[in-house]
Amino acid sequence: MKIIGEKINGTRKRIAKAIAERDAAYIKDLAMKQTEVGADWLDVNAGTHPNQEPDDLVWLINNIQSVVDTPVCLDSANPKALGIAIRAADKTPMINSISGEPERLNNILPIVAEHGCEVIALAMDEKKIPETSEKRMIVVHKVLEATRASGIPDEKVYIDPLVMTISTNIQSGLIFFDTLRAVRAAYPQVHLTAGLSNISFGLPARSYINRAFLTLALQAGLDCAIIDPLDRELKAALLAAELILGRDRHCLNYTRAFRAGVFAKSGEAG
Amino acid sequence: MSQQLVDAIADMREEEALKLVREMVASDSNPMAILDLTREALDLVGKRFEEGTYFLPELMLAGEMMNQISEIIKPKLAEMPDRERHGKVLIGTVEGDIHDIGKNIVSFMLDVNGFEVFDLGVDVPPQKFVEGIQEFQPQVVALSGFLTLSFDSMKNTVAAIESAALRDKVKIMIGGGQINEEVKEYAGADGYGKDAVAGIFLAKKWVGIQ
Repeated sequence: MKIIGEKINGTRKRIAKAIAERDAAYIKDLAMKQTEVGADWLDVNAGTHPNQEPDDLVWLINNIQSVVDTPVCLDSANPKALGIAIRAADKTPMINSISGEPERLNNILPIVAEHGCEVIALAMDEKKIPETSEKRMIVVHKVLEATRASGIPDEKVYIDPLVMTISTNIQSGLIFFDTLRAVRAAYPQVHLTAGLSNISFGLPARSYINRAFLTLALQAGLDCAIIDPLDRELKAALLAAELILGRDRHCLNYTRAFRAGVFAKSGEAG
Repeated sequence: MSQQLVDAIADMREEEALKLVREMVASDSNPMAILDLTREALDLVGKRFEEGTYFLPELMLAGEMMNQISEIIKPKLAEMPDRERHGKVLIGTVEGDIHDIGKNIVSFMLDVNGFEVFDLGVDVPPQKFVEGIQEFQPQVVALSGFLTLSFDSMKNTVAAIESAALRDKVKIMIGGGQINEEVKEYAGADGYGKDAVAGIFLAKKWVGIQ
């Protein structure tokens, strides 16, 4: 299971403030903390100012790289910002994201192919997230056709079937799992990722929902997730689920995490 | 029966609420009175949402109950003279965005709060808003958008309203998941609401009630 640490996201108020005030210490701290708990990539989103986005992204990347060597995941739909930010990255970054939208495919895929990046692809087209798993698969087919045509190997593609809010559609979880299974069946080599927390939007005690959702998604084939890696309870749920699904040889990840104190308070001692 | 209906809606007892409405219609109750009770109940739902005892699912269910109640009393309502309205609101999800859940909640909350609402739907081009203003003559225009790309559409819509020389005729509010003060400034709107309740509050303020 690969983890993309979601903390450095400029659409969150505290991060937007740190970016605006060029509070490098705050960003560095988040980069280190997420790396310590095992994030495989650090998502970097500069927020919602189209004009400043390239500068802000580069500033974030430089600060992150000054303290950790975890690769970044460039979170932007803006090809210009991506083109500039990619040059600032020491390690080949992941790109977050493309979709079935022709403009995004045409402008971002060449960048992905040129730099050999891994890329997240959303199962949506121009403006719409398709309601059903079948319709999302139509978009997934279209996207894979485009990535293959650009010479990007399937194993560098991370399909995000898109998590919709359960409080506005009680089927949202099932549609998501169905899509995971359908993608896995059609494309054995691609990865499956998602931002999970949208599932619990508008509901109280969200962490329980997020944990149950992650556990079930793992069973349906999810092998990567954009999450808060500092959330110990979520991390513990993830480790336990992977263990039960037979993905943790000799249970070593689990016992190592225990020794490292991941379960402190949340698990039984001894 | 009145208090029973208010409680049934506010406490999310859907079947009981609908049954009560049918009984009231059968016994020839004034449909306006039923609407008033529904509004009273929805006020309670809104308050409980604000206090943090209710959540998004309760707002959704309240919206569904409201729609079903409207369906039941519609035939009766059609026989009534028009009820008095506080003002008119033109609402729609801006071009390039098709999210409608938030917009629909605001739309129906405006309706039960006594506004005449004209809903243009989703993915509405700026020109449609301009035409809507000319036709419908609202005091308030409400732009909804969830995607970040909707910020530009909002800006374009406000600009189109301005170039049609209609900007001083309306107050413009924006709303959606990621809207804040900065986006409001960027789009050139007069205000924003962080949720439906805040939107209703703004609309009421602008037409001079409460």
